[in-house]
Amino acid sequence: MEEQEKSLSRRQKVKRVLTPVVFFVLIPLLLALGVWAFGDRSYNLIAAAVALLACVPFFVSFERRQKTSREIMVIAVMTGISVLGRFVFAPLPGFKPVTAVVIIAAISLGGEAGFIIGALSAIVSNIYFGQGPWTPFQMFSWGALGFLAGLAAKITVPDKEGGRISVMEKRWALIVAGIVGGALYSMLMDVWTVLAAEGTFGLPRYWAAVAAALPWVIVYAASNIVFLLLLTKPFVKKLERIKIKYEIFTIK
Amino acid sequence: MAIIRIEGLSFKYNGAQEFALSNVDLEIERGGFVVVCGESGCGKSTLLKLLKKQLAPKGERPGKILYDGVEIQSLDERTAACDIGFVMQNPENQIVTDKVWHELAFGLESLGEGSGAIRRKVAEISGYFGINDWYRKRTDELSGGQKQLLNLASVMVMQPKVLILDEPTSQLDPIAASEFIATLKKLNSELGLTIILAEHRLEEVFPIADKVVVMNKAGVLLYDEPKKIGGLLREADPEHKMQFGLPTAVRVFKDLGGVDGGGKGECPLTVRDGREYLERNFTNGIKSLDGLNAAGKPPNNSRDAAGDSKTIPKNDAGREYAVEIGEAFFRYERSLPDVLDGLSLDIYDNEFLCILGANGAGKTTLLNVIGGVNRLYRGRLRIYGKKIKEYLGVSLYRHNVAYLPQNPQILFIKSDVEDDLKEVAKLLKLSKEETESKINAVCAELNIAHLLKKHPYDLSGGEQQKAALAKLLLLEPRLILLDEPTKGIDAYSKRVLAGILAGLKKNGKTVVTVTHDVEFAAEYADRCAMFFDGKIVSLDTPERFFSENNYYTTSASRMSRGFYDRAVTAAQIVELCRANRGA
Amino acid sequence: MRKTKESKGNKGDLDFAEKRTANALYKKRAGVTESFHPVILLVYFVGMAAVTMVTLHPVLLGVSFIGAVFCTGMLTGMRKLLKSLAYSIPMLAVIAVINPMFVHKGETILFFYNNNPVTLEAILYGAAAALMIVAVFYWFKCYSIVMTSDKVIYLFGRILPRLSLVLSMTLGFVPKLKKQYKKISAAQKSMGMYASNSVTDRVLSRFRVLSALVGWALESSVETADSMSAKGYGLRGRSSYATYSWTRRDLFILVFVLLALGVLTAGMSLGAGVGFYPAFKGISAGLWDIVAYAGIAVLGLFAGLMELWENIKWRLFVSKV
Repeated sequence: MEEQEKSLSRRQKVKRVLTPVVFFVLIPLLLALGVWAFGDRSYNLIAAAVALLACVPFFVSFERRQKTSREIMVIAVMTGISVLGRFVFAPLPGFKPVTAVVIIAAISLGGEAGFIIGALSAIVSNIYFGQGPWTPFQMFSWGALGFLAGLAAKITVPDKEGGRISVMEKRWALIVAGIVGGALYSMLMDVWTVLAAEGTFGLPRYWAAVAAALPWVIVYAASNIVFLLLLTKPFVKKLERIKIKYEIFTIK
Repeated sequence: MAIIRIEGLSFKYNGAQEFALSNVDLEIERGGFVVVCGESGCGKSTLLKLLKKQLAPKGERPGKILYDGVEIQSLDERTAACDIGFVMQNPENQIVTDKVWHELAFGLESLGEGSGAIRRKVAEISGYFGINDWYRKRTDELSGGQKQLLNLASVMVMQPKVLILDEPTSQLDPIAASEFIATLKKLNSELGLTIILAEHRLEEVFPIADKVVVMNKAGVLLYDEPKKIGGLLREADPEHKMQFGLPTAVRVFKDLGGVDGGGKGECPLTVRDGREYLERNFTNGIKSLDGLNAAGKPPNNSRDAAGDSKTIPKNDAGREYAVEIGEAFFRYERSLPDVLDGLSLDIYDNEFLCILGANGAGKTTLLNVIGGVNRLYRGRLRIYGKKIKEYLGVSLYRHNVAYLPQNPQILFIKSDVEDDLKEVAKLLKLSKEETESKINAVCAELNIAHLLKKHPYDLSGGEQQKAALAKLLLLEPRLILLDEPTKGIDAYSKRVLAGILAGLKKNGKTVVTVTHDVEFAAEYADRCAMFFDGKIVSLDTPERFFSENNYYTTSASRMSRGFYDRAVTAAQIVELCRANRGA
Repeated sequence: MRKTKESKGNKGDLDFAEKRTANALYKKRAGVTESFHPVILLVYFVGMAAVTMVTLHPVLLGVSFIGAVFCTGMLTGMRKLLKSLAYSIPMLAVIAVINPMFVHKGETILFFYNNNPVTLEAILYGAAAALMIVAVFYWFKCYSIVMTSDKVIYLFGRILPRLSLVLSMTLGFVPKLKKQYKKISAAQKSMGMYASNSVTDRVLSRFRVLSALVGWALESSVETADSMSAKGYGLRGRSSYATYSWTRRDLFILVFVLLALGVLTAGMSLGAGVGFYPAFKGISAGLWDIVAYAGIAVLGLFAGLMELWENIKWRLFVSKV
């Protein structure tokens, strides 16, 4: 038993060293090789790889942190809900509650959990809806939205009774979050569109793509606002109850 | 030698006023099979959870719990995880992963075992539990019984020395429950595994238990061999709420005071022993209750003798119908088989009808058809004389039909019971005073006024059911449909529920339930219907329904068959025995 | 019965989702590619998509496109392939036509449109870009088919065990949530809550049900968490059970795929250059060009040919029995 423990921890240690090596040395090396070999045409690929790489620090820190089974569970549940939301609202084009659910979860559970829920929502929902070169961009954009929402929720403003409440409890903040969410998601996805069509990243072409996508940005933003305004209160209430009842996600 | 020894254990939850457990002493032998019983809220679950380090609730805990001589809380994590296995109530919620094979491997992954070792152990356990056929399936495709078996297997793969189970069969249908209990028996006798099992349904576990723990409020009332429990309970607390949950044979024995009326003699545990007990100690000059009620003298034996004293007047001609279904066909999709296959069923106004039948036969579908959620593709359906299509908008759900689903939790949306009730009132566009008075009336009827401020998910199963029922009753339905209302609640709560349903009937409502619970149907229904193969195959009063069934019937009916006629509940047997003793 | 109609409609939405799920994930397949080690699948399909993304060379793209479509056809069957081609070929045409409307470079002017020259080169460029996008689409389609959820979890489990566990839990949750969503929806309707057929009610009822679902899921998941703890979750040194092991065949295939990818990359970086403006030049036959053509032919057709060979083998096998 002792022996086993030891060898295990050694294996664990090797892994701990290896993971950052793979991500921070090997993959950039491959990218450099790609640029050298293919020149201009490789931006497309590099952008995807960069989006993926940007997720890595969050994933690694999630692996390292000692999380209780209940915290893990809540993360899995919220990811499941955001994926289910995509199914439920599938008949309405552009109505994807994923962004809203990720933002709400992040408000209550913090930025780190928000990132994980966002990135995992992309992976899982694409297992159902089909993976593609867009997967890394979705992972990063939903993850980043979660992370930002988590950070924003820490900013407090005075409330009516003289105490301080999180800024994210304000209506206007939710509306801003909805717009930012819609725009960011669309802009990041448009990066991919442009790169796919053009190969290189031309700013004029990019703005053209963004302009072309404007109707979608409006739909995304509007649906986000609707989702956020309607769902934030009940969802946060339920999450807060669980947090208090089971003493999870308390110390940040 | 005792594997678990509990000395002077008390427990108080953080922030609670009262002790959930007080001064418990227990000694559990290695290889023993111990059944723990008691009404909901008596502290069973708390006691069991304290035995498992990882699940032990937080709070004040004087006293000792020793596992193999070591205090549970100071066991090292690995031993505590492996040696003591824990299976909980809800089969679905316990499953962690998405695939059967991954679920089996989960515990071993936690222990950090290598893939080779995991493969071997998982293979072995799959063979033992007969999981091979569904090893690669997704966990959500399994039946309830399979899920619970998987939970058991995924605990057993870690090779525990003690297995603790907290009401593992309460969410299963009777057949799956029997199979599960049989598996436990096998584990106990083949592997010498120590088993501690908390249960409501005692009919099958009493005969295989070594010891039974009867708990009352926060403490252990009795701890003895099962055959002594009946007599001891009569002495210790004749009004104990637990008595209704005892196996039929034990109840009959206890109520009749054993062999001599004074509590002496060997207590029967099984149907076979119970029958022997009846035949040896009682005569059957008076064969059935019909005659007893009619004139107090032996009746003739004709089956058609009017006997529906508690139920329906013989003359049904003038009765109105609440529901009329004629040659109904329903299927979920065109390519799927018929779930209702030419079903006909008439339900009288103001009766209590139980629909019985196997799991997955389509009983719930039938309720959903009556409730307007599923639509027939062929056939007739009238509710209170009006075609279901003629109920426009939501009119079917206003003062007409209400449906209580199997899991009452899904009716709750708000964060306390009162808000949930008020929401319904808002739907009916009531004024503030009306709302208040109606809510008060319903709360008084169901005795739930003290629950109004609580969060729905903090209530016990029985309380949730009552709160959900309150929500429905605010809509003032005439016809109430209940799906498996006795699932997962203890025998005493069942009696409370039966009382509520009887009250509703008295107020002129019609009650239709779908259930597996033959004992409940026998005791309380006006009529019972057997659902099989998409049709209603028999429909009669419980006495005739269950005495004509040979296999699908109550233990009481099996126990008294041939000796007495049409005695289908323990109370009826007791009454007949008393009459015969007196005669 | 307005309600039944509506609940039917609602059920339809989720069933649509279920069908997608069934197609994407759970249908039993007997493809040989699927039996390869997940690492091979990752390297091969993502590699093919990546190689396709970085070139506009018509020969390379053409072969890659044929390989991807061939492989998709072998995996999904002819009927489904034709169905999807019916969508993607018009898409290809549209993308090809859009480019010359924006870009007016190139020396071969075909005609004038709105006083702007439409050039052959711009059309060729558009066609190449469109071919690239569609080929990548098909490579990912194959990838989605063979890379079942178990394999995704396995790959994650190798490097990020905790994340892979959450992934597995979530995948277990989604069908459960779907079932519960339907139940709650039916129960709410049978109370006549937001049950009218108006659009606002239909949307609002979805919000309500979703909110009730979150409550249920969070509360009932606590039991799941307890079950995890009871089975030792949180002990140090958690391992990740691998159902996939390397066979000799897998190792051969991996070496082959890596070698072919290497050769192809070398060929593509040293030869197979392509230029569209001012005049199209590219289809040359130097040494490195030929290496690249050979590489993409071998690699691009590899998966499809493996499937075909397996089919033939079974035919022969069956006829022998």
